[in-house]
Amino acid sequence: MTTHKTESDSLKLPDAWQGKAYLLMAVGLGLICVSGLIFFIGYSDARATAFKIFLHSYLANFMYCLSFGIGAMFFVLITFLTRASWNASVRRWAEIISMTIPSMAILFAPILLMVLANNASPLYEWNQAKEDIRETIVQQKVDYLNGPFFTARAVICLLLWTAIVTYYYKQSRREDETGGVDLTLARQKWSGPLVMLFALTVSMAAFDWIMSLDADWFSTIFGVYLFSASMFGFFAFMIVSFLLLQRNGKLKEYVNIEHYHDMAKFLFGFTMFWSYIAFSQLILIWYANIPEETAWFKDRVEGDWAYLTYGSIALHFAIPFLGLMSRHVRRHRTALAFWACWALIAHWLDMTFLVMPNAGPVSMPMILGHVLGGLGMFSIFSAMILVRASGVPLVALRDPRLPEAMSYANPLL
Amino acid sequence: MSAKKTQPAVAEKPKSYGWMSEYVDEHSLLAASRKVRDSGYTKTDAYTPFPVHGIDEALGIKPTILPFIVLCMGFVGLAAAATMEIWMNAVSYPYIISGKPMLSIPAFIPVIFETTVLFSAFTTFFAMWGLNLLPRFSNPVFTNPRFDRVTNDRFFLHVDSRDKYFNRESVRELLAGTNPESLEEVVEDSTPSKFPTIIWMGLATLLVGSFVPATIIANMRASNDEYPRWHVFFDMDFQPKKKAQSTTTIFADGRTSRPQVPGTVARGQLEEQDPFYLGYDPTKIAGITPANKVLLVSSQDEPKAPSLDAPVEDEAAKPAKETEKANDAKKEEPATTAPAAAPAAAGPNLPWVTDFPVAVSSDMLVLGQKKFEIYCSVCHGVGGDGDGLVHRRAEQLQQGYWLPPTSLHDPRIRGQEVGNIFFTISNGKGKMANYAAVLTPKERWAVVMYIRALQRSRNADIQDVPVDQRAKIEEVKKAD
Repeated sequence: MTTHKTESDSLKLPDAWQGKAYLLMAVGLGLICVSGLIFFIGYSDARATAFKIFLHSYLANFMYCLSFGIGAMFFVLITFLTRASWNASVRRWAEIISMTIPSMAILFAPILLMVLANNASPLYEWNQAKEDIRETIVQQKVDYLNGPFFTARAVICLLLWTAIVTYYYKQSRREDETGGVDLTLARQKWSGPLVMLFALTVSMAAFDWIMSLDADWFSTIFGVYLFSASMFGFFAFMIVSFLLLQRNGKLKEYVNIEHYHDMAKFLFGFTMFWSYIAFSQLILIWYANIPEETAWFKDRVEGDWAYLTYGSIALHFAIPFLGLMSRHVRRHRTALAFWACWALIAHWLDMTFLVMPNAGPVSMPMILGHVLGGLGMFSIFSAMILVRASGVPLVALRDPRLPEAMSYANPLL
Repeated sequence: MSAKKTQPAVAEKPKSYGWMSEYVDEHSLLAASRKVRDSGYTKTDAYTPFPVHGIDEALGIKPTILPFIVLCMGFVGLAAAATMEIWMNAVSYPYIISGKPMLSIPAFIPVIFETTVLFSAFTTFFAMWGLNLLPRFSNPVFTNPRFDRVTNDRFFLHVDSRDKYFNRESVRELLAGTNPESLEEVVEDSTPSKFPTIIWMGLATLLVGSFVPATIIANMRASNDEYPRWHVFFDMDFQPKKKAQSTTTIFADGRTSRPQVPGTVARGQLEEQDPFYLGYDPTKIAGITPANKVLLVSSQDEPKAPSLDAPVEDEAAKPAKETEKANDAKKEEPATTAPAAAPAAAGPNLPWVTDFPVAVSSDMLVLGQKKFEIYCSVCHGVGGDGDGLVHRRAEQLQQGYWLPPTSLHDPRIRGQEVGNIFFTISNGKGKMANYAAVLTPKERWAVVMYIRALQRSRNADIQDVPVDQRAKIEEVKKAD
């Protein structure tokens, strides 16, 4: 009886965390308000600019937090598609992260409402009356980029993702009661088509929500870029959260160094993959040197944004790539904690790089407000996870592949 | 016993390579491995039908240094590719490609990346072989017939006699204590280990043979021969067909090239006659000078621009020649001797088309502007002043050999007939390439039309402005 008690205890969120969700939520909302305030004080003589920067900052931070959910959704799908067993003990946590998507959708509603009202031109330049759009190229895109159609696509995306993650989460929870292999087989059956759907919808969302900020710019690889960035951020988040959970005495017997090692391998791999995709996007545009394509990079290598752009090469690629290269680092909790936190920050800088240069040149209030807004959004995101995870076993105990996951060991090189 | 003593050569005991025990599952193998490891033996190895997780740890195998070798060679590959590209394109042979700087890191990265991967992959492959002491054609463990089942369902543990602490009896006891299915001594492989003669003879023959073609070629290049050369493909060297300008017995007139069949028009022949395609009227050429007859013939022969460099013997051509000389000497007097319509003595003197052979319309002007800005403005400039981007770039690079593009507002060009400008666009002039391949005749005429409009814009008077807008211009003039 005692052992059973400790065992189920180990599967729960730490007691200290349980009640923190609403506090975090309040702190997060407060920080976002403060960030808005900083923008408006910093640009007291230009309200429109302040609002524009606030919206961009909000979108960048929103995409940062949403990307963890996107990564988690793909992780769950690919697990069933490949019938992977190594991750059976960490998959529940990924399912919980993916379940933030329905809640995050609420945070996207303000942007959608503004786009629908057709006056949110501070965010999307296409989002105004056709005759007011300055550039003819953008004018020709309004059949696709317009308020109602944009909203419809966003709603479809978010609804589809909600359906996918809810289905996988509910089935997983049902398996906790019933056991057996039927539910796993059902999820395996759906994973193939859903991965394809995932690829299409993530591309669509990336094109719509971020790429269309600069409406005359286009890059067909942009969806893959967002996907690679999301996976990079997701694995960093997984590693950090398991390290935190285990520090609080949870999941000790379910997640061992082998699982960390594997997640770190993915983190390492996606460091390279992100760089490969980011560079692929750059070199074609750099080589062709067509004004409508280079404009996007021009915004990012001029002024102080150049520090972020060139800095990303080191922060998002070279340093973590060399840092995570060694197997000993990937199997060392402290080192891993360092690199996972590094990756979380690098990923945030990446989302900043994608969105913020469209809001204008760098300024002190912009940096301060954006950082606080990011912390606020991350607090809300963490609160969502805590709410979802309380009272839920953090390991899918009756998953048929769990025993295999527990006995798995990485071969010694 | 005594028999063995009398025949020592036959009975000599084969060299021992330690002991090998056999197990039926991986669990007993892992347990035995741990026991052997804990007893301090390091020259050990396990053989299994499939990868067994944890065997490295159970045997106490140290991590390999292969990754470090690969990392180092990866960096070597990176440095090699970077050095090669930077040296080649930025130092040894600076060459502008796509208008990029000589030292363009983005362009170098794909090659650097691939070379890094290539070096790493080759290093991984060959260093793995090296570290495993491969290739090896025989291993003492193969002498045990039971070992054949290792690829199927049996697990083996081998303790090598070359281990520092190896003692024949104690190792046997140790392994016997792990409940093996069998326990046998590994003995030297007595089968001949010599490389089969036939194989190395074959390889040597191949190697020598591979030099034969190269030797023959080298010999042929270096020596003279009184015999005709070999024709490897005789029917390709001598084909049953007749070439142009040669004779034949098939036709009565003995010519291989056949004359045009009466009543037919050859492909492209229409374009050779119509001023719309030429910019001049070929039917009038014959009437000008005998020298121009030469031009007519040459212009029909090939689409290349007829040139006055062709030998001109006739007296009537002299004025043109003199004007040419005058222009060469940079004399600014107008060429009075030449026809007023053709002061451009540097070009051919042809009966130019003087009026547009197409209707002048605003649509044509818009088309002309579009094409002008795409194809002409890069050199001649959007305003036709000869200050296009290419020119400005050349000036920036201070290229002494750069010949500036002609200003279209130059009096020489303004005095040219429309047909002459059309001819220049169609055939090119000096450094300017011909644009017949990218502009249709109609588009070329549209460009000429637009050039005329540009020229007029610099030389217009108030009468050219629509009546209702003249007042505006007067105002601006006063303000200035």
